[in-house]
Amino acid sequence: MIMSSAPTGTTVAESVGAYSAPTLRRIVAAEWTKLLGLRSPIVIGLATVVGAGLLTYLSANASSGDPGFDPTAGLLDGMSVAFIGPLVLGVLVGTGEFSTGAFRSTFAAVPRRLPVLAAQAIVTAGFVFLMAVLAAGTSVLGILPAAASRNITPDLFGDGTPQGLLGAVSFHVAMGLLGVAIGALLRRPVPALVTAIVLMLILPLVAVLAADLTTDPLAASRSGTVSAQTAAVNTVVTFTPIGAGSTLMAPGPSAEGGPDLGSWGALLVLAAWVALPLVPAAFRLRRRDLV
Amino acid sequence: MIENVAAARPSIDEHPDMTQAGRRVAPASARGGPTFGRVLAAERIKLTSVSSTGWIAAGTVVAAVTLAFGLSLFVRPGSATSGISLAVSGYLLAQLGMLVLGVLVGAGEFSTGMSATTFAAVPRRLPVLGAQVLLTALVALLTASVSLLASILVTSCARGSSGLALNVTDPETVRVAVGFVLFLTGLAVLGVGVGALLRQPGAALMAAVGLLLVADQLLAANPGYVADTVRAVLPAGGARMFADDAGLAALAAGPGPNFGAWGGGLVLAAWMVAALVAAGYRLRWRDVT
Amino acid sequence: MIQVEALTKRYGSTTAVDGLSFTAQSGMVTGFLGPNGAGKSTTMRLILGLERATAGSATIDGQRYADLTAPLHAVGAMLDARSVHPGRTAFRHLLALARTHGIPRSRVHEVIGMTGLESVAGKRVKGFSLGMGQRLGIAGALLGDPGTLILDEPVNGLDPDGVMWVRGLVRDLAAQGRTVFLSSHLMHELALCADRVVIIGRGRLLADASMQDIIDQSERAGLIRVRTTEPDLLAQALSQLGAEVIPQENGVLHVRRASLEQVGAVAGRVQATVLELAAEVGSLEEAYLQLTADSVQYRAGHPAAPVSSSAEGSR
Repeated sequence: MIMSSAPTGTTVAESVGAYSAPTLRRIVAAEWTKLLGLRSPIVIGLATVVGAGLLTYLSANASSGDPGFDPTAGLLDGMSVAFIGPLVLGVLVGTGEFSTGAFRSTFAAVPRRLPVLAAQAIVTAGFVFLMAVLAAGTSVLGILPAAASRNITPDLFGDGTPQGLLGAVSFHVAMGLLGVAIGALLRRPVPALVTAIVLMLILPLVAVLAADLTTDPLAASRSGTVSAQTAAVNTVVTFTPIGAGSTLMAPGPSAEGGPDLGSWGALLVLAAWVALPLVPAAFRLRRRDLV
Repeated sequence: MIENVAAARPSIDEHPDMTQAGRRVAPASARGGPTFGRVLAAERIKLTSVSSTGWIAAGTVVAAVTLAFGLSLFVRPGSATSGISLAVSGYLLAQLGMLVLGVLVGAGEFSTGMSATTFAAVPRRLPVLGAQVLLTALVALLTASVSLLASILVTSCARGSSGLALNVTDPETVRVAVGFVLFLTGLAVLGVGVGALLRQPGAALMAAVGLLLVADQLLAANPGYVADTVRAVLPAGGARMFADDAGLAALAAGPGPNFGAWGGGLVLAAWMVAALVAAGYRLRWRDVT
Repeated sequence: MIQVEALTKRYGSTTAVDGLSFTAQSGMVTGFLGPNGAGKSTTMRLILGLERATAGSATIDGQRYADLTAPLHAVGAMLDARSVHPGRTAFRHLLALARTHGIPRSRVHEVIGMTGLESVAGKRVKGFSLGMGQRLGIAGALLGDPGTLILDEPVNGLDPDGVMWVRGLVRDLAAQGRTVFLSSHLMHELALCADRVVIIGRGRLLADASMQDIIDQSERAGLIRVRTTEPDLLAQALSQLGAEVIPQENGVLHVRRASLEQVGAVAGRVQATVLELAAEVGSLEEAYLQLTADSVQYRAGHPAAPVSSSAEGSR
């Protein structure tokens, strides 16, 4: 072992005060800069906005020939599918740091770590909110041609339509947050996407299949009531994210036999689903080594 | 003294390896180069040395079996389903597993940067894609078969209590079983094609899922002639291969075209081929790094 | 000033860093050396709080990294040039980093200018060469005008111009009173820019001394090389004076414990014609190799025997 003593050095005067510390506002600004610097959020945003409008247009056109056509009935058809955009965006934001190795510079700048996760959620929510508002706009545009062809003026302010639109926007924001939460927990895009897909796309199909299996087609039509098993399945569905989303977009009982949560209840359900991956993700971020 | 140094080194034309044309002409196998058999062996080693392959296959089996079992709990006497249809109902999750498997194999070279090494060793490139397709199909076939057998076992209890028959000699049962395995294998190969085309696992997965699940669900919500026709020609149309006869009859009676079970299979095959051709074109004629 | 005390990091049964203690003073460049896998990068990650130490502590100017109010203003770190999202442009990456601390846009342009990235600032990082990526990492480290710099292999992949630039940069920064702590495998380069050296092996401290002290440890330090027509005669004469003489071939003698002047004088006295007389200078590389000889974890095997030609006529 070779040791020799070092002359004591001089320190650089610390002219830096607390004013340049990483506050949450600054970290949010940084995350916003990061989000807008990438191509994929713009692409996803465009796809969601255009897709929602297009799907609503097609759906309205398809049913415009029906006798009891109400243009606002299908207003949310596009948005009820376009939630995939915000979901994927959230996953990209949530996994972005770790899948690229950028986390080393990010968490060297913000060693307290959790504010970064919070900022990612805030920024995603903000971006998705804008996206969803625009998508609602294109959806409204989408029903106009069909309504015009039947000479009906769509009434956007009556009969639950504004609540439905608001609910749809909230649902999209919740989906974005859910994506961030799943992404932050799993940290790699493919597992996160698979989880999100299973939760949001496949689970509803499973529920439909289960409901089909429980219904005895003859018995239901005879008695007019809903079997206990179908009611059970529908109750469970109400508490899934997609079920909560349906409640938000069309206030009322989600399906036969299911409970009526109301908009606030549905939001609570969605918040619980977001918290489910987000809390472990936060723990993992705070306590564990970043490698 | 200095002049002799240059004369001592032989000219390149005198080298024994040079033929009159000035180029080596020995065949690939004789030279020790990449024949298809060797490429296949290499891809097999790559596939089996990565733990994700095993996890995805195992996960798919577990998911399919669990789902089939879970759904079997909902079956009541008089439910409109056949015994074999209950067993294959795990396909909802298995199809995702197969897509993931294919996409990871197809996009894996490029997302990891391995492509530079691989295609320096195999400059003709297409044999690598071919080997990947073959091996993925094999893994998918095995996974699907195991899922099916396990699902049949696991749903036997529910079938017994609800009086659903599963007769192995019944032609419908055989068709549904074979169709299930073929459908899942086809999806895995489709995944390889989409993965090799888009070269990024996330994007490829979303494209495949969009094509398979989202488009289909969308159209299912709005039945009609156009919607049903489009559904029939999307990859999900391949699901007809394992629809039971009652389901096929319902589809035939509907407004869409009547492809039948094997027609659906051809539709899926067409998508597979299209994806692989596009991927092959990009591989052969474009940069790989 | 970086102070590391009894720092230990265990991953399961492997100990990556074992009771490491050293200080990197301000106003000088401290080099950090060690074989591959010795724990240099781990040590740096522990200092930056990216990983939690199993035992011991690491402080910057007396504070733990996590307790610093404005980390980027206190410490500028470059650990891995790949710590950037490939889909972002260089400018945006630096801008986002700057925004976390409210550092103005002008400073971002300044560091881009300092590191010579003006021409590629608007390009996506995916297409960057190794050298450009390194410069971007250094730019990020300089962003907050920090008092301490921690750089992991900063000259990796840089062209000779870039290597000289980094050398000048770190010397300037140290001259301004900052603490510069950098790891490198380029011995000759490090010998030119570092004032002190910390050498670790297998996670343990092997040396913590000034550059000159380390170099003086190398075998060739203090060695006189003399080539003469009468080697035996000169060897005898020098040995009688108490010098240590190691005869080499071709009439060369290696002499220790004698100065250049003394050897020359003795040669003149015994009338041995001197053809070559030089004082060997020790090198950091030599000293390092000797110090770490037992700690090398990844050693290449003997060069492979030439491939035998096959029947098909390979070369």
